[in-house]
Amino acid sequence: MTFRRSAPLVLISAIALVVAAASIISSLLFTRMISSVEAKQFSLMHSIVAFNLRGAEDRAQARAAMIADLPRARALFAARDRAGLLAEYSKMFADQKDKYGVDQAQFHSLPPTSFLRLNDPENFGDDLSKFRPIVVAVNRDQTPRKGFAIARSGPAIVGVVPMFDPQEKHIGSFEFGIAFDDLLDNLKNAYNLEMAVFIDEKSLHEFAKGVDPAIYSDQNRVGKFIRFHSTSSAVFQSLVSDKDLNTTENTQYVREALGVTYGIVLVPLRNGAGDVVGMVAATSDFSASRSSRTRAFVWQALIALFSIVLLAGVTLIIIRGILLRPLEVITSRFATLSTENESAEIPEPDMLCDELKGLARQYENLRSARKREAE
Amino acid sequence: MSLPLNVRQASACRNLVVDKLKFVEHQTGALSLGAFALLLLLFAAQTAAAQSPPAATALPAGSERAGVQPEGRASQASTQDLTSLPLGKGLPVMVRVGLYFQRITAFDDNQGTFTGTFDMRLRWEDPRLRYPAETTPRGFQEFRGPNAEQKLKEVWIPQVAFTNLKESPANQTTSLRIFPDGWVELMERTTGQFSVPINAGSFPFDKQSLDVEITVRRETTGEASLVVLQEDIDFSRPAQDLSIDGWTPGLVNIKRFTQPGWYGEFQSGLVVGLNVARKPVYVVATVFIPLLASLLIPLLAIWMNSTEEGEFKTDAFELANIIVGGLFAVIALNFTINAAYRSVATGDNTVTRLFGLNYVTLGVGLAVVVLLYRYNVPMRFCGRYVQEQMFSYLSWAVPLLAVGTALAFILVGAS
Repeated sequence: MTFRRSAPLVLISAIALVVAAASIISSLLFTRMISSVEAKQFSLMHSIVAFNLRGAEDRAQARAAMIADLPRARALFAARDRAGLLAEYSKMFADQKDKYGVDQAQFHSLPPTSFLRLNDPENFGDDLSKFRPIVVAVNRDQTPRKGFAIARSGPAIVGVVPMFDPQEKHIGSFEFGIAFDDLLDNLKNAYNLEMAVFIDEKSLHEFAKGVDPAIYSDQNRVGKFIRFHSTSSAVFQSLVSDKDLNTTENTQYVREALGVTYGIVLVPLRNGAGDVVGMVAATSDFSASRSSRTRAFVWQALIALFSIVLLAGVTLIIIRGILLRPLEVITSRFATLSTENESAEIPEPDMLCDELKGLARQYENLRSARKREAE
Repeated sequence: MSLPLNVRQASACRNLVVDKLKFVEHQTGALSLGAFALLLLLFAAQTAAAQSPPAATALPAGSERAGVQPEGRASQASTQDLTSLPLGKGLPVMVRVGLYFQRITAFDDNQGTFTGTFDMRLRWEDPRLRYPAETTPRGFQEFRGPNAEQKLKEVWIPQVAFTNLKESPANQTTSLRIFPDGWVELMERTTGQFSVPINAGSFPFDKQSLDVEITVRRETTGEASLVVLQEDIDFSRPAQDLSIDGWTPGLVNIKRFTQPGWYGEFQSGLVVGLNVARKPVYVVATVFIPLLASLLIPLLAIWMNSTEEGEFKTDAFELANIIVGGLFAVIALNFTINAAYRSVATGDNTVTRLFGLNYVTLGVGLAVVVLLYRYNVPMRFCGRYVQEQMFSYLSWAVPLLAVGTALAFILVGAS
């Protein structure tokens, strides 16, 4: 082992280790900071989706409550005057559908049976107790409820309220359903989030007899789900797979599609019985935070390189330039002095460090003595 | 088709006469003129309604702000001003926008312009234009060429403009379809030059967006709003065979914005942008190889010397000449690249950073030549062995740091 090699090696290795460790820790901290920003973004996306779903539920329920409380509606429904109800409210429904994204409106008689669908007046009389748990619950408890449901005309966010005749006797219920299309498109326009809703295909086949059969195409099929509506099909084809949808909780992940990194949140849609029968997906462009992460890593690596190289330089120059190299010269002079008659002086002895100056002085004394002896 | 115009003309005439008579009444105070005025009014209205209006008298769409009038009943449809804002579906009128990038003939990132042909599709619902479906075997009424121009003057259309169009379009053709359910589809093919902002921060790994800015010029956001639904996204795409020299076309991105108007109002707008990625391979030979090669010049000046017992063997003057030659080479390269890629001449990007690195390395090389080789500063202060070790250290440390920094600049640009 030579000190010339091993000492700088040990010192430079120690420097490299410390600087690398500091850089890694710094990089981890920055990554955590970026992750925290992304987590906040995810949280915001969850909140946006949840808030708007809840808002749609409230709007559906408020509309349903207003109609259910109208004396004319109560009287006509109590008299089971289907034609009268249709004449009274079909224009109202058409306006609601045209302007406010309302997709469904239905009177339910007891036991839970479709009495009149304003969105599909020809189809009525079907039993709702099997596939409309929310309608069953409202008529059982005589309390308004809201939530997600797959009705005959498709999935919707519904508000269901009980209806009473003029003598306050419970006679059934009324519901409004808001379509996902309108809701998701508005969310995209407001927040620049790409949105999609995935619905369990089996439930769709079973309950939503009125939906366009073209929806069941292979392009829309994602595992057991059907992509019922999306604001950008190209993006969601790459971002959401059947494995991702195989969850019953709020989920979030980051994935790259079409050269862009996206953050995706999945919010399950549950029916009145609490079963997951759909999923709302929202995505946002995360390229900026991901790019910042890479850039920060590169800059930190460069700073680490500069630190190691500069500290290594100081180490090498001091150990070799001030200590080892002069020592090597003095040693070689001593060797020459001991074996040969001719010996040279040590160059610039004043520039040596104090510890070596003594040695150089001893060499000069010895060399002078030899010279005198020779003379 | 001419009936609404006749009625409008009659109405305008009637208003004019009433205004004139009010003025006369005010001046003379003669109430007896009232009866005469009524007769004159009826005569004028009937005369105007009986005449077929010349096209030149038709009110050009967009020549004035369309008034907001309540929609009348079906029996009054013929008396409606169809150029007013359609209120039948509530406000704002949702105007759906799609933009198809048919061809891009040129993209000059130095000038920040691109030239291309686009199909803009606007769709909105105007219940006043509903008609029985059985009257059109094709399922819609279609107007093209002069017929479309004429029809556009007779119905409400959102006054939409390309706000980043540099000059008048080289070509613009319009087609109008009206569907029985009142949906109106305006298709406009435009060829023109558009200006776009260029962000060369990631040059040559940059992605640019060939933006077409569409803004509603007349109606406020409360009256008409531009929206994009799935069908419009599907429509908004580049043509299959669209190609741009030196660039790879990607997806179409659509962003909504609002533009401040008068009295605290806003106007709706959309930016439909085709993302394009630069092909960096073309730039490597012309920009990066010279830039990295010029980085070697100051390093050569350091390497070309040698030392013995701290004494340098090569004359500093010769090595300083290399540095000065390198400085001129980098300046010349800077001028050449700035002339060819004006977009990277200013601002912070990989190329300007690499130029900066070149100048810094030249400065370091010059400092080594002057301080170390010429004046032996380390030897004067710390002895010859320190100078010897410093030379040995600089011989590998400067190249390592220069190459490491260049690599970092490129990686940051690519990220």
